[in-house]
Amino acid sequence: MTRHTGSDDETDGIDGSNRDGRTNGDDRCGCGSSPQPNVPEIGRDERPAIFVPDDGEEAGTAAESSAADGRTGSPAADAPRTATDGGVESATGGSDSTELDPDAYDPIDVFPEGDLDLRDGADSCYKCTSCDTSCPVAEVDDEFPGPKFQGPEQWRLKRKDDHDIDESITSCSNCMRCDDACPSSVPLSQMHNEARGQFVEEQMEKLSLEYVRNRILANYRTSARLASVVPRLSSFAMNFGPARWAMDKVLGIPKEREFPEFATTTFREWWRDRGGAQVENPDKRVAYFHGCYSNYNTPEVGKAMVRVYEHFGYEVMVPPQKCSGTPMFANGMLKDARRHAETNVENLIEAIGDGADVIASCTSCSMSLRQEYPELFDIHGIEDVSDHTFEALEYLRIHEDLNDELAEARPEDDRSFAYHAPCHARNQGLARQAVETFRDVDGVEMEDVGDSCSGISGTYGWKSEKYEKSMQIGEEMFGHMEDAEGEVGMTECPTCAMQMEHGTGYEIEHPLQLLEETLVA
Amino acid sequence: MDDQVDVVVVGGGSTGCGVIRDLARRGLDAVLVEKGNLTHGTTGRMHGLLHSGGRYAVSDQKSARECIEENRVLRDIAAHCVEETGGMFVKRPEDSEEYFQEKLEGCRACDIPAEVIDGEEARRREPYLARDVEKAIVVPDGAVDPFRLCVANAADAREHGARVETHAAVTDVLVEDDEVVGVEIEHDTGPGKRVHREPGTTEEIRARYVVNATGAWAGQIGEMAGVDVEVRPSKGVMTVMNTRQVDTVINRCRPKGDADIVVPHETACILGTTDEEVDDPEDYPEEEWEVDLMIETLSELVPALKDARTLRSFWGVRPLYEPPGTGTDDPTDITRDYFLLDHAERDDLPGMTSIVGGKLTTYRMMAESITDHVCEKLDHDADCDTADAPLPGSEDFSVLRDYMEEFGIRSPIGRRSAQRLGSRTDDVLGGTDPNPVVCECEGVTRAEVRNGIEEAGSDLNAVRLRTRASMGNCQGGFCTHRIASELAAEYPGPVVRDAEDELYQERWKGQRHALWGRQLSQAMLNHLLHATTMNRDGDPATTDADVDFGAFDAGPAGSGESAGDGSSSDDSGSDDSPAGVTATDGGLDATGSPDATDGGIDGDR
Repeated sequence: MTRHTGSDDETDGIDGSNRDGRTNGDDRCGCGSSPQPNVPEIGRDERPAIFVPDDGEEAGTAAESSAADGRTGSPAADAPRTATDGGVESATGGSDSTELDPDAYDPIDVFPEGDLDLRDGADSCYKCTSCDTSCPVAEVDDEFPGPKFQGPEQWRLKRKDDHDIDESITSCSNCMRCDDACPSSVPLSQMHNEARGQFVEEQMEKLSLEYVRNRILANYRTSARLASVVPRLSSFAMNFGPARWAMDKVLGIPKEREFPEFATTTFREWWRDRGGAQVENPDKRVAYFHGCYSNYNTPEVGKAMVRVYEHFGYEVMVPPQKCSGTPMFANGMLKDARRHAETNVENLIEAIGDGADVIASCTSCSMSLRQEYPELFDIHGIEDVSDHTFEALEYLRIHEDLNDELAEARPEDDRSFAYHAPCHARNQGLARQAVETFRDVDGVEMEDVGDSCSGISGTYGWKSEKYEKSMQIGEEMFGHMEDAEGEVGMTECPTCAMQMEHGTGYEIEHPLQLLEETLVA
Repeated sequence: MDDQVDVVVVGGGSTGCGVIRDLARRGLDAVLVEKGNLTHGTTGRMHGLLHSGGRYAVSDQKSARECIEENRVLRDIAAHCVEETGGMFVKRPEDSEEYFQEKLEGCRACDIPAEVIDGEEARRREPYLARDVEKAIVVPDGAVDPFRLCVANAADAREHGARVETHAAVTDVLVEDDEVVGVEIEHDTGPGKRVHREPGTTEEIRARYVVNATGAWAGQIGEMAGVDVEVRPSKGVMTVMNTRQVDTVINRCRPKGDADIVVPHETACILGTTDEEVDDPEDYPEEEWEVDLMIETLSELVPALKDARTLRSFWGVRPLYEPPGTGTDDPTDITRDYFLLDHAERDDLPGMTSIVGGKLTTYRMMAESITDHVCEKLDHDADCDTADAPLPGSEDFSVLRDYMEEFGIRSPIGRRSAQRLGSRTDDVLGGTDPNPVVCECEGVTRAEVRNGIEEAGSDLNAVRLRTRASMGNCQGGFCTHRIASELAAEYPGPVVRDAEDELYQERWKGQRHALWGRQLSQAMLNHLLHATTMNRDGDPATTDADVDFGAFDAGPAGSGESAGDGSSSDDSGSDDSPAGVTATDGGLDATGSPDATDGGIDGDR
């Protein structure tokens, strides 16, 4: 069952209150505003949420049903909590009133066909160009006009009946650095996602090879699922010389890149074979959003996540899930992304109802669930998913005393890493988390290789016409990796990892793997 | 009497431009004089509504009929100046149902196509409309760009042999033997294109007939001729929003009142207006409450306006007129009709007629009737064709082309350029390569700016009116210097600087009334950018101070010590070095040859 709110009578009133909630949402990375310990932000969707735990709380306060309440059983769970929806009182009858407030406008949601209207974002831009100077694509691609043009300028030049999107939008890699750079909270990536979606939907030739190629890249999960049926053959075939030559020529997938190997046992298979969770703890539950890559390609990351979290006494749930949507957003395939999002939200909201927070090991997946989901879709419960989603290491750093835990620990052998913070981690305020976590750990050397973009940006570097630029962007990072002492790379993002490996030949690990090695092994 | 022309038209607003075009097309030798830029007075200070006539359908059906007639004409002859937005008269619950019906019947009585839609349908068409809007009458209102319209009229007049002098204020009306025989004007910077720093001159233009089309200023010209013209100037505020909250003209359906219209105009929306009589069309208070009133009252129709960004506000003065003895107290009750005041009949002063009242939508019709009148006076027999002949820019043109492919510019930029340029698009965009975007907010390219400069000399405000460059959300903060630099190839440094300053200062004027919230952030950024990054609050080129460039930049390592005097690398230039130092900008050339100072900055030396 999917939960649309599209035709729901209450939608309008709810949207109105969500608008104010947006300001709150901007801080949902959990780094800007200091999260109150044990009181995660409450969903901004004020309706009695569908995940209300049936524990005797009266319906009127259902909106306050922070699913994570039960996690620690701390007193805070019972304390009255104020609504965090930007000041719209939940006292308005829990918002189940159907009365329309004429002043309640969410300026982005007003168009009935579902197109977003982001003129308000154009109002916020004062042309300072910080976004353009932070854009890694604009730096190497003279033809790319940059995020300011793609976003606020293009939106402002639109009129009702002539709103064709400039095709340069397809050169945006969706690294979202512009979001981070903007001093005025212009929703740049949201504007780009919407523009790209419109461009692909309305202007891109659906039979073109570019479309087909992008659709394949965006729907990596589909390919990966098929490939995983015969993983060894797939790994061989996908990287088989003549096949790669043909892919380059026909589809525009650069032959220089090596396809990632497919795991012989996927994470979910391992999870099933292992018999699921080994720890049961109704007070500390997390729902693991492993994403496609940890499932099909690097199950070791997923396994590390499970072992580390179980080490800390968490009950890990692995709900059914599809692609987080990141590669789909980057290719303007919003319909695909929405379809997957409906499944994800439905299952994650159920887990949240069981008291879990959502944990992702891929920073792009967490980015998507947190920011892009509520920005682009109005699926019921999506705001709650957004509020309850965390990156794996981030969550432990909030809720566990990692420093204390790591004080006495050390890996078996001394390890040195060249750490690259993915752009999407940067946008969630997580750029320094790996360095900060491990800098005082004996036997671990963690060197930050700087704040440049790796250049691959998901599927961007997987397009022949973008390959050179992708490598140009990555050059700075490659250089810094070579200069760093460590001979192993580290990052949270699977495609950054591909690029790091591609550019330096290093082996790349995920911080969870090091945490596992240090704490659990 | 060799230099006597047939007609002098005073006033370069819509009426004057319409008249000069009509006179020229009928083969008369005519001169237009305007003290500022075209549209300098009232025409450039209106909300850009192309009336369907709906607004007058109850109170003034004669005007309403004229409006719908001329509305249709302008869609045809001035297609590139008009955006066919459509309009609505919306009714809120507290607005009178009776008046709504009266309005509907009025529209029908005046042949204005009118259709009633319910609130839901109105919101489907305009999603930002307030939820409690009950219903609306849909009428063929539109948006018209008054600048482009006047410039096109003047251009057509020129093509037909007329002379158009802007920045040429009338200092006297020549009266000989109790007859008006011409005017004396003072050119700001000599006749022809305006170029900063050129000396002013005076000129007497003798004419067989003088048309006073100065609108709210008609009394002042009348006074010079010794006659009374009782114009009652009435001010109104207009507030410009940064984006288009609506794409349709939204009128409040109620009898009359302040703040009852939102007009989508180019990239912006313009809120209007107030109606208050003033004594002097050039000196009246611009009051904050008027702006507040616009936003507050119109938020009842479009709630999003309340939090939206305002770019600027400006005031205009209507040239209202009523025949002596009418004695109306409230300016909102004064008719919007126009009047020809033949001073021969009225004041025994032959040779001059004043035209007062009226509105932009009917400018062509007014021009036609006054041209008929002048032709009769001069015994000149020619037919008017202005209702059928398209204006330059609107000849046989379709914007549905791919300008991006053709001219190598981004599609939204190309589309906007084509919407502004109409049939001139190929001519203007064709010749400039490379053609970067100069004004990012409005999507104006170098080609368009250069075309404006060709027409307007160093007057960048005239370029602005032609191109919209610097009229977007940064209000010139990021582009005045870029626009000004396009002057540098042709004009010396001081002219460029003056032109730049004038444009930049003009942009501040309207922003004074928008300095809160996001436009305040913009203004702060603009100011700091210009004051610090560009050093414009202490630019040695304008302060005449001696600058020790060596103190800022010792040049490349190794030549550091000698670089300061500017002579080390070029012996031949050593005795020029003091001049070279003062003339270079920002020390960039301190180590280069003094002869190689850039871009004509010291070209007047």
